[in-house]
Amino acid sequence: MLLFAALVTGARVVSTKGPHFYPDDPITREPESRDASKAQPYFMGSMYEMSNNLFVTSKYQPAGVRAKNINTIDEVPDSNWFTNRIGSTRVTVEELVRGPNFGAPPDPSRWVVFREKTSGSHPGFTARDGKGQTWFLEFDPPYFPEGATGAVVVATKIFWALGYNQVESFLTTFDPMKIEFDPNATIRRPSGARTKFTQDDINSILERVARRPDGTYRVIAGRLIPGKILGGYLYEGTRPDDPNDVVPHEHRRELRALRVFGAWTNLTDLKASNTLDALVTENGRSIVKHYLQDVGSTFGMCNDLYEWDLSYEHFIQGDTTWRRLFSLGFALSPWQTVKYTEYPSIGKFEGDVFDPRKWRPQTPTTAWREMRDDDAFWAARRVAAFTDEMIRAAVHTGEYSDAAAEKYLADVLIKRRDKVASTYLTAVNPIVDARLDANGRLTFENAAFAARVASGPATYRASWFRFDNTTGETQPLSETQSTTTTIEAPRGLPTAAGSFVGADISVESEGHQSWRKPVRVYFRRDGGGWKLVGLERMPESAPATPI
Amino acid sequence: MRVLRLWKLSTVVALTVGAAASASAQEPEPPTRQAAIEQAQGEKDKDLHPYVPGKMEGLMNRAEDILVNGVPRWHPYFTSAYYGGGFTLGAGYAHHVSAYNLLDVRGSYTILGYKRLEAEFTAPRLFHRRGALSVVGGWREATQAAFYGLGMNTSLRDRVNFDFQQPYGSGTLDFWPTRRLLLLRGSVELSQWDQRPGEGRYPSVDKVYTPATLPGVGTKTTYVHSQGTVGLDWRESPGYTRRGGFYGVTFHDYTDKDEKFGFRQLDYELIQHFPILREAWVISLRAYAQTSYLKPDQQIPFFLLPYVGSGSTMRGYLSHRFRDQNRIVAQAEWRIMVNRFMDAAFFYDTGKVTARRQDLDFNGLKSDYGFGIRFHGPFATPLRLEVARSPEGTRLIAAVQPIF
Repeated sequence: MLLFAALVTGARVVSTKGPHFYPDDPITREPESRDASKAQPYFMGSMYEMSNNLFVTSKYQPAGVRAKNINTIDEVPDSNWFTNRIGSTRVTVEELVRGPNFGAPPDPSRWVVFREKTSGSHPGFTARDGKGQTWFLEFDPPYFPEGATGAVVVATKIFWALGYNQVESFLTTFDPMKIEFDPNATIRRPSGARTKFTQDDINSILERVARRPDGTYRVIAGRLIPGKILGGYLYEGTRPDDPNDVVPHEHRRELRALRVFGAWTNLTDLKASNTLDALVTENGRSIVKHYLQDVGSTFGMCNDLYEWDLSYEHFIQGDTTWRRLFSLGFALSPWQTVKYTEYPSIGKFEGDVFDPRKWRPQTPTTAWREMRDDDAFWAARRVAAFTDEMIRAAVHTGEYSDAAAEKYLADVLIKRRDKVASTYLTAVNPIVDARLDANGRLTFENAAFAARVASGPATYRASWFRFDNTTGETQPLSETQSTTTTIEAPRGLPTAAGSFVGADISVESEGHQSWRKPVRVYFRRDGGGWKLVGLERMPESAPATPI
Repeated sequence: MRVLRLWKLSTVVALTVGAAASASAQEPEPPTRQAAIEQAQGEKDKDLHPYVPGKMEGLMNRAEDILVNGVPRWHPYFTSAYYGGGFTLGAGYAHHVSAYNLLDVRGSYTILGYKRLEAEFTAPRLFHRRGALSVVGGWREATQAAFYGLGMNTSLRDRVNFDFQQPYGSGTLDFWPTRRLLLLRGSVELSQWDQRPGEGRYPSVDKVYTPATLPGVGTKTTYVHSQGTVGLDWRESPGYTRRGGFYGVTFHDYTDKDEKFGFRQLDYELIQHFPILREAWVISLRAYAQTSYLKPDQQIPFFLLPYVGSGSTMRGYLSHRFRDQNRIVAQAEWRIMVNRFMDAAFFYDTGKVTARRQDLDFNGLKSDYGFGIRFHGPFATPLRLEVARSPEGTRLIAAVQPIF
């Protein structure tokens, strides 16, 4: 329930006076109180990370504990990892279309090449534009014209709206006739030496990418992230050199939630090298800012035109490996029969067979395995908050030349959004936005009904209790119920400032057994009214979402 | 890795809980949530240290550096001097002499005493990345290579052993005029074959044959071997692919400076991969024929005769089991994708050798069948394990390259 539950639990070991709720609960911002200037760069090798994820993480038994970076009302406070946007605050279509792009787009009148590209699977290099700004340029492979670049720009807008720190990314043009080389431009050779970057190096890249009929190239330009680059973040443990990083990453809800967001957008390449930590200075103090840097492996984009099994299986998965080996491949896997409408700019991406619970990234992460249904519910609310109009507007920023491809991508995202919402908003008791007014009237929303992924009559029951914030003891009051999302509280609620009451709200609705498990809410008397200070959707210990 | 994970997790939990406990014991109870979190951050601040990769991570990072970034140095080397040497161990040291060009010095030794020592210079980016050059110089010795006689009607009991020593030097240039698809390859090799009495438990070749009954016995021949290949190659990679094909013809000329053992040969090779069910299955076919042409008054020494029987031709037969002037081999595999890095395969090989080119037909073929597992990456097959069965027995094959 509480932010940093382990911390509070630890406090109780030596003190019985620790409060259940602090006066500043629920916090809306995760503090970064310490100077992190000692943080050092480290780049984990892809081979080690992949092997570790495939052979160790895949056997990892989830702790089954509530996310540890959420506040007392089951929400993720803002931090250097995450900013509440869609689903928490109003995000307009205009804001979504702008996404993380607050600066000016690149000036493609001139490109001064000075280094190779060090991340991402598609060809590219690092260059300064006509205004001297540094950009990472990435091209489309010939078999996915507009695909890789389109995926980056569209997914960047979506993941920005979802709350992740994103790189400013713009679609622009690369004209090989307007290229220059920085006098100090170098590239790393197989010998390990850095030698002069030559025209032949550019040619070797351009030979492998999609070219427009006029001889120019469509590229995605990612702005250089400000600050000192520290390498990617891991999906488990904490940075040992960042004092503010005290929550194990596998217990950060926004990282667990990538299992839902990844399924929706088909972000299959979840690995450390697609993330980036940067040491930046804010308010005179060095802190580490965490970016979900490369979201280009979304929709149907992958390294190869023939990666049919992507999103259905990890690269190596025990059950499917044995099944195929012993059946000699006669036991067909779902990816062998799913029908795709393939546009070169979209790839293999569909919404009819898609099942969010069966979606798989290339390799599992510890955070991916730790996700519980309350994490998924939190994530699904954000996915469901994307309207059709917003999705179509985000896809339009991909500037696909084929209108049918653009429409198809948006249609599939809408289908998958609805499946995500239908799967996860109904998996747990969907009570949200509980409010207790001064007159003792409890109102709330049913998120599943609101998202229209469930319907029918429902009876809401609230079992009320007084709550002692010092001892944690509860004192039952009475039970009230309603067939609407408004329930009267019992008479005689305390009126003293600082007093607490709570209610266990359960829902009787045909076909939704899990809704009978109550959501527990806590209110504190503040001034003349009640303030929601606590919400527990699932117990502190509960199984992770099955894989 | 698991230990590392547990250590990291326990460290974090201990840090967080311990921080709160000690804070509660020694510091005032934090008045706010923010203060409580800041206390934990303060505790962590006392014990900061850079990320320290574990041993396994360090090793794998090193391996990645070698495989991906192409900075090999010391490396294993499993190529034996010749067939039939048994388990091979070897090592090499590679050194970039320029940005892309590599010098690799390597050697191997087999359980039966075969020896190979060579140096190779490779220049992989010539002619604006359209060409690659390999120059090799070395020496090898095989002490007890098998010979079973000529033709298909020989017996395992006919085995004799021979030894040879060979210094060699060659240069090979691959050229892709259109970067993909069309392959042109030219090669020149200067070598000397010094055929000696064989060792081991089988009779030496010179005890059973004479130079009159088996050309090449006891000879010391210096060759200039030149060859040229024209091929169409649209596989993803020769090292691993699930689609595409290779169609090629190679012309060989062996010139003996003494004009005793000169000859010419033509190789015809067709490889085609047919993906099925979205590449979960692949039917892979290979047909290979080699025909020989004698130069006037010259002969082919027995140790350079075409053969069938080996881990790359007919896998159920001993290496070089059948020899004669021409050969034909056909192979079919049903490959099953098990996961991204592993395939299984059922295979069938058939083939024969003949004295006359016109006998290269489908009569009198020997055949075998088997099952194998292959561990591969996107472009290479570093390990192939197979069991092959033929009328002459069951063989286990371990190879560090694909079959085709």
